[in-house]
Amino acid sequence: MAQELERSALARKLTKPFSGLMATTYRWVDERLGVTDLVHQLLYEAVPRRGAWAYSLGSATLIIIVLQIVSGMFLLWTYVPSTTEAWESLNFIEHHDEFAAIVRGMHLWGAYVLFVVIGMHMLRTFVSGSYKKPRELNWITGVVLFLLVLGLGITGSMLPWDQAAYWTATVVTHIVSYFPLFGTQIEEILRGGPQMGPDTLTRFFAIHIWLLPALLVPMIGLHLILLRRHGEHGSWVNYEGVEEETEAERSRRMAEAEAPYPAIPSDPGYAVPVDLDEFFPSQVFKDALVSFALVLLIFVMAVVVGAPLERAANPAALNYVPTPEWFFLPLDQLLVQFPQAWMIPVGVFVVPGIGTTLLMMVPFLDRTPGREPWRRPEVMVPGLFAVLFLLFEAMLAVGRLFNL
Amino acid sequence: MTISQRRMSRRKFMIMGINAAGAGTGLLIAAPIVGSILSPLFYQRKQPWVLVADIQHVPVGVPTAYVVMLDQGGDAWQVPPVPRTVYVVKLNLDNQVQVITLSNVCTHMQCDVHWDINLNVFFCPCHGGEYSMDGTNIAGPPPKPLFRYEHKFVGTTLYVRNILTEGK
Amino acid sequence: MPLLASVTPQLTPVPVSTGVATALVGLLMLTHIQFAAWQQGGYIILAVSDFVGWKRKSERYDRFSKGLVTALGATFAVGGSLAIFAIMILFLGLWSHFYVDLQRVMFWPFVAEAVAFVGEIICLYPLYARWDRLGKVRGLRIGLEILLFINAELQMLLINIVASYMLTPRPANDLPAILMNPTEIPLEIHRFVGNIAWAGAIIALTAGIRLLLKSGRRPDVRPYLDWMGHYGLIWAIGFTIAQPLVGWEYAKEIQLHAYASWYDMMLGGLSVAFLIQVFLLGTIFTVGIFYLWRRVRASGFRSPALAVCTVLSFGAWMLISTPSSLAWSYEDVFRANANVPIWQGGLLIPWGAMIPWKLTALVAFTGVTIVALTIYLKYVSRGKLRWGDAGRGQAVSLITVGVAISLIMALMGFIRENSRGPFLITNHMLINQQQNFSPPSSSGPALQGPASNIGFSVILPVEPHP
Repeated sequence: MAQELERSALARKLTKPFSGLMATTYRWVDERLGVTDLVHQLLYEAVPRRGAWAYSLGSATLIIIVLQIVSGMFLLWTYVPSTTEAWESLNFIEHHDEFAAIVRGMHLWGAYVLFVVIGMHMLRTFVSGSYKKPRELNWITGVVLFLLVLGLGITGSMLPWDQAAYWTATVVTHIVSYFPLFGTQIEEILRGGPQMGPDTLTRFFAIHIWLLPALLVPMIGLHLILLRRHGEHGSWVNYEGVEEETEAERSRRMAEAEAPYPAIPSDPGYAVPVDLDEFFPSQVFKDALVSFALVLLIFVMAVVVGAPLERAANPAALNYVPTPEWFFLPLDQLLVQFPQAWMIPVGVFVVPGIGTTLLMMVPFLDRTPGREPWRRPEVMVPGLFAVLFLLFEAMLAVGRLFNL
Repeated sequence: MTISQRRMSRRKFMIMGINAAGAGTGLLIAAPIVGSILSPLFYQRKQPWVLVADIQHVPVGVPTAYVVMLDQGGDAWQVPPVPRTVYVVKLNLDNQVQVITLSNVCTHMQCDVHWDINLNVFFCPCHGGEYSMDGTNIAGPPPKPLFRYEHKFVGTTLYVRNILTEGK
Repeated sequence: MPLLASVTPQLTPVPVSTGVATALVGLLMLTHIQFAAWQQGGYIILAVSDFVGWKRKSERYDRFSKGLVTALGATFAVGGSLAIFAIMILFLGLWSHFYVDLQRVMFWPFVAEAVAFVGEIICLYPLYARWDRLGKVRGLRIGLEILLFINAELQMLLINIVASYMLTPRPANDLPAILMNPTEIPLEIHRFVGNIAWAGAIIALTAGIRLLLKSGRRPDVRPYLDWMGHYGLIWAIGFTIAQPLVGWEYAKEIQLHAYASWYDMMLGGLSVAFLIQVFLLGTIFTVGIFYLWRRVRASGFRSPALAVCTVLSFGAWMLISTPSSLAWSYEDVFRANANVPIWQGGLLIPWGAMIPWKLTALVAFTGVTIVALTIYLKYVSRGKLRWGDAGRGQAVSLITVGVAISLIMALMGFIRENSRGPFLITNHMLINQQQNFSPPSSSGPALQGPASNIGFSVILPVEPHP
């Protein structure tokens, strides 16, 4: 009964500016489409009260991905995926169409900011233990999303077909050839032949604009469905005193929990945050502000710095130093540190493979019930090493490349 | 037979039909696509001879770079020749002059290798690989020596074509 | 500054032989790094321990933090005096040419270093003298500790700029090139992790020694010492995990930009010393993992996984300690015309080659130690280890790791300085140039010396042109 009242109150709120014919039309559509119900479900759920600014990183990631899709769709109006015309089309934009150049800049800086935001989001969920029961699948789909975004980033960087893009494509496709047994065949499939050619560009263009997005979008959907199902976990500040409460207190808290809580199955006491808040407007407000700030940053970087375009690809230039994109610097440094013969496949496949597998397995490595980071050294210490590893490798790569 | 037994066999037949039709549809769509994706593995192109330079202009013991337009292979609708660098090295071994035509494609990750006068090696800037004058990998990640282009002489004029042999 | 330049040429160097001078400076620097590394690493351990003690409301961490800050205050007093007075007197007196030269080129880095020293004092002494009172504003105390750590890192950065300049000098007036010196970033990371590992090792060493003493058997003290040893060891081998990574790239940059030094270290006269170095590295990892295995066993748990880790680490230790030839250096191998494997009558041992064998051992150390540490920490976080169970073997392991890290640091300094020999600044200044040089002419900043034919431009505060 209370649900009915709330829903019609919402319907009234939504149709308030409308009167007469519009209100009747709205009610006719709503009876058949169920819009009010849908909006109610989307907006009215409980979220943890404390630490909410940190939880806005997830929606920021989503907004920036949407920005990438939209700006990318626009870039399709001008860009031609041909080895002779790709660079020409982008060069034209850079010199003759300031607005398209800004869109291209937003696409590039959107990608860079997206990597940083994903990193922060991963770090936050890792530190707050949000991957624990029952949210393990959420974490795993998140890792898959990260890999897909990494793929999108690297395939996108190959599209301008300038010097940077050409050599990135050369090195990345050649890495694949070190895979045992049929590595060379996969390289030829990706390149459209044993060496780089027009087919290479068209194939990577296809991978970038539809194959990876076609995998990305459903995965995002799954990630969000899982989030809705179990509710936002929050961080340890929302579970203070949970270990000391009595059975009576705990069962009362569980019974009073608003949707989507309690998250079941869960470690005892951790199914519901102690203090709850509304998603709309509290969390949405924070999400909106953070997303706006990030998109503003992307816009400013696009206008002030823009997207660089080096000289057109020239395989014969002897004085060019191929430099990978910054988010691939650690992997590039691995290529320096695992030299010759069988060590190369170990460096490019085994080490990142083990790292990715461990990343996916984090929910199964961490079995302690506590949520505080200082009570979970068995994931914090390896996690710290992983972050330091990436940081050190990137620093060493920068130092090496600067001094060439 | 009872009605339920008859219904069971019809149901089973229909489910089998769904599976078969689904598999068949998927196969019909996928087969040409997969074939097309795999087609680069089976396509060969003939490689023409390309003029490099007169060998008398190359000094002994100094790797000299020449840019030539080579056919890159592959099976696309247009395959414009691509400029690539050939290093022509005249070695003096046991009082015999030997000419080798090195490909400057690094055997590690295929970046461009260049002759560094200060280090006196072929140096790859990508990951620090080094090769000696005859192309042997001496330091860094490269697992093999530099590849060599097939070459021939017409008089004193050097020609190469884009067929690579393993370096020694 | 121009005033100082006119004063310093009047200083006459102390007439001491080059050998004695070098030995004195060497001894002093080897002592200095033991203090300085402890100081730096200790600060971050202090900040983390104070924070964890605060959040977990743990009496053990609080007791430890207080002991640590007292120790750090004392060592700073001793080490700081050592550094400033003795180094200045020694360098000014024995290595004056080098000292004056360096002051000219590295003027602003040295000024910043001095400011950072003052910063360190400002942060450290309130912590040392008013620890308990600051405990009432715990967040501020931790903030001060973090500030102290950042200060220490700044000091290390500046001295690394100087050190990398000595090995791979860049034109003195090119500040970006000096800051991004190829051997500077690897050295920075190398020392960052090494300092923290060393501080952890000292904590483990202290705990290990006290555990073996009679006073360590008291039931109120033994659990604390047991925990302290474990805590120090985790820091020690935890941060040593990064060393193979960084050390490889550091050696690579030296190979590219100071080939003679690299050759000396890896294949030449110093290669035996470097072999001892990697042997010590293997000791640290293997004895450390052995400690983890046996400590878990001491509290009653069998861990086959940790046993396997110990065996793998031991195998890697043996592999990395294999010499690449039966001669003292590669030149000796060539001189004996014996650059073939031993079973073909030569002097080479193929499994001693860096690529891929020693590199594989390094990778194995890194991987196995991470796995072992993770497994061990699972026991710790479940509260399964009873503090006080540690036996004699664990105490000896702690002491061994501590001593090994001390030795590896001293030996690294020895190798580093000697690989650059006979130069003090590669290609610019010889070690034995200190006792006979002509003062700079008053007309310009170019320095003349017997073998110094490179004119330096200087980084000095420049008066504006009229």
